[in-house]
Amino acid sequence: MIWQLAVLLFAAFGGSAAPRTHTVEIRGMQFRPAALTVAVGDTVVWINRDIVPHTATATGKWDTGTIAQGASGRLVAARPGALDYICTLHPTMRGTLIIRKQHS
Amino acid sequence: MLVSLALVFATALQGQTPAPAASPNLSDAEVAHVAVTANAVDIDLAKFAQTRTGNTAVRQFAQTMINDHSAVNAQAAALAKKLGVTPADNAVSQSLQAGAADARKSLEPLRGAAFDRAYMDREVGYHQAVLDAIDKVLVPTTDNAELKKLLVDVRPAIAAHLEHAKQLRAQLGGANAGQ
Repeated sequence: MIWQLAVLLFAAFGGSAAPRTHTVEIRGMQFRPAALTVAVGDTVVWINRDIVPHTATATGKWDTGTIAQGASGRLVAARPGALDYICTLHPTMRGTLIIRKQHS
Repeated sequence: MLVSLALVFATALQGQTPAPAASPNLSDAEVAHVAVTANAVDIDLAKFAQTRTGNTAVRQFAQTMINDHSAVNAQAAALAKKLGVTPADNAVSQSLQAGAADARKSLEPLRGAAFDRAYMDREVGYHQAVLDAIDKVLVPTTDNAELKKLLVDVRPAIAAHLEHAKQLRAQLGGANAGQ
């Protein structure tokens, strides 16, 4: 009973909107958009529209692994913060992911 | 057109290869052959570099060259097949192969940091030359829209390779080749 109440209260007052899915296109050797703001619990999907393979990697934090042409990699945003990321295969490619506690 | 392309590549090869005799504009079949050859020679040199370098960043760069130029070549081969074009050997392709043979020869005796610097010098020059060739020769001379689009689509990857090569070369320090 108590947990049901807690869920209700959370939904009514503290709850953020349902998790969203955001898409970053990798095209022409660029992350598009290069900077993206999401909320904890959201999913970010990187879709590779280039001929060559890519990654989206915040070194030591997270890594999509190699994303082949036409394939995608994903990340569920876990902790708030701002993270710069690169493609480890092409270190001149840079992006930023800003993770907020909840949707504004 | 062909003369300027030959000059572009000759510059990249640091004048080691004489420019081939001039001939009229490249046909699409010849452009396709140049594209396939340009990828193939860089893959071959990258494979050689991987057997020689002890530098992790240089090894990773070489792996990216193998991955990317293989992916582009697969795309070029698929397009040629679709278009019913048989890539045709030509003077520019031959100058690329001669230049690659010269580069391999000059890298052969080098070891360690000297090898890494010389390999990255070559990659900087080579990708700059390919970029110039795409802009000034290959795209303008290509008739088929799909082949032209492939060249345009590949351009950003070549530009990224060039920037990557420049950054890595700068990190290695020391004088540039020829200085």
